[in-house]
Amino acid sequence: MLFRLLKNSFLKRPKSVLLVFISIVMGASVATAFLGISGEISHKMALELRSYGANILLEPSAVEGGGFLREDDLPKIKTVFWKYNITGFTPYLFGVADFSANGKRERGIVSGTWFAKNLEVAGEEPSVQGVRGIAPWWDVQGGWPAGPDEAIVGAALAKRLGSAIGGHVEATVRGKQQRFQVVGIVTTGGYEEEQLFAPLITTQELLQLPGKVSRVQVSALTVPMDAFGMKNPAQMTKEEYEKWYCTAYVTSVAKNVEEVMAGSRAKPIWQIASAEGSLLKKLNSLMLLLTILALVASAMAVSTSLMASMAERSPEIALMKAIGADRYQISAIFIGETLIISVIGGMVGYLLGDQLAGIISRTVFNSTIASPFWLFPTAIISAFVVAFAGSVAPLRRALSIEPVRVLKG
Amino acid sequence: MSPYIIETGGLTRSYGDICALKPLDLQVPEGEWLSVMGHSGSGKSTLMNLVGGLDRPTGGTLQVGGENLLALTEDGLARFRRNFVGIIFQQHHLVPYLTAIENVMMAQYFHSMPDEAEARHALERVGLGHRLKNRPGELSGGEQQRVCIARAIINSPKLLLGDEPTGNLDHKSTIMVMELLKELRGEERFTVIMVTHNQDVAAWGDRTIHLDDGMLVREERMNCQ
Repeated sequence: MLFRLLKNSFLKRPKSVLLVFISIVMGASVATAFLGISGEISHKMALELRSYGANILLEPSAVEGGGFLREDDLPKIKTVFWKYNITGFTPYLFGVADFSANGKRERGIVSGTWFAKNLEVAGEEPSVQGVRGIAPWWDVQGGWPAGPDEAIVGAALAKRLGSAIGGHVEATVRGKQQRFQVVGIVTTGGYEEEQLFAPLITTQELLQLPGKVSRVQVSALTVPMDAFGMKNPAQMTKEEYEKWYCTAYVTSVAKNVEEVMAGSRAKPIWQIASAEGSLLKKLNSLMLLLTILALVASAMAVSTSLMASMAERSPEIALMKAIGADRYQISAIFIGETLIISVIGGMVGYLLGDQLAGIISRTVFNSTIASPFWLFPTAIISAFVVAFAGSVAPLRRALSIEPVRVLKG
Repeated sequence: MSPYIIETGGLTRSYGDICALKPLDLQVPEGEWLSVMGHSGSGKSTLMNLVGGLDRPTGGTLQVGGENLLALTEDGLARFRRNFVGIIFQQHHLVPYLTAIENVMMAQYFHSMPDEAEARHALERVGLGHRLKNRPGELSGGEQQRVCIARAIINSPKLLLGDEPTGNLDHKSTIMVMELLKELRGEERFTVIMVTHNQDVAAWGDRTIHLDDGMLVREERMNCQ
């Protein structure tokens, strides 16, 4: 009988059923689309944010007192658990040198690094690592060093030395000399403008520190820090530690890298990591808020449609109550109707939302998107949430109908 | 055990300052057909609504079938209505999108379990065996009222309430409906409370009470028709 009541109710009031259906479909599809692309947006934004620079710094451990890291250990960074999250890294070897050029002499820092080194690690995909990858904001006039005796000079140092592209700078460290050809002038807006950047191998020879590295900057995709991520790993239980280690917090990725670099201490560069985390958290919150707003708007539309339909149906409800229907039986009819509309609306909403997510992903990020498996139940649940939230007020009105007043006369 | 199916003591119903039913003491023996007459606004529909558990009194006592209606919750009153009362409305109040048989089955659904064979039998008893699949809009006024009667008796109520059940019918249909009710009452032995303006219709009952301005002003025993 309930089925007959529901079937006839749908067939005899197609307009109001359609309005409720459209409202539910809109809510479910917007929720599906937003939640579907939120993961993609977070990933793309995290990649974009990597252009702000490295977020992990590896330095020699004070405890081991070695003063340097080993260049031979660097390829191991591409073998760690979080290797796919590490988008790039570059080593630096610093030393104080006396520079001379064009008859001028200046004391400054010579910095050996990788500019764009082809790195091949057994069992891993070949990659290019170096400062060009992790510091894309460096503005280099001229070109990047390609040969062992080529260098780029920071803009401030170049100005003091009167160096220009094509000129030469001679660096002297403890009596050992190296003549560099200036192939580029670099502007960064930071301390790098006071340095001369040369290939790592040449700098190691100049400083007489073969195979040594002063520090390594690592750029990694991480998730925003939360209260759990901020906990001290040393005070965690085994289960907590495993959970922490398997979550891409900047601290756990740093710990992961530290484990493969002998004598190193890895620490997050907090001004970068926390800014990224905060931005991603805000972005996720924004997506969630937009999803909730869309669902609330749909629920309100459902509520308005059902309220209008309720006015039309009040004699029918009054009659049902008069012949003995209690609150549960009246509720069962309304919830049954809502359930059917929301299941169908959820399925249609999922299909539309999935298409919408694809369109947004193609238009905004120029990439395709694969729907995660949880999106379908999410769409159905969103439809239920919209339908039931929108039904509360109309149902209360239905239950408060007094047969005596409505059936009078 | 009380011989009365309905007993009221000082039963009152007010709407703000307006007193629709002034203190009323009334006893209705089980199986009686009581007609309630009066002008518009005399309180007859108010009395019927109170007795049927569709409305709550503002004062006095009200026992129907041994049940103190004042003590029942909303759901308790709904249970009382579906188990104890059958109601025939002047305007029929059939669900327009359900067929005649479905309208009868709806009352079964709220009572217990729909049974199509029983619903068909009820409609056959009121002479509508050939109109089972017709919707209310396809039936005449008299036929609609007979569907309403079938719906009212389908759960074997102890009390049948009629609120001007023939008010919208022509003379021929009125006679047909009244004869049908008399016949059903003879078979089912339910008590009838019938509100009417019509002296001829009231005369079908065992007793008639007259209300005026919410007060019982006259009572008369009728001769059997």
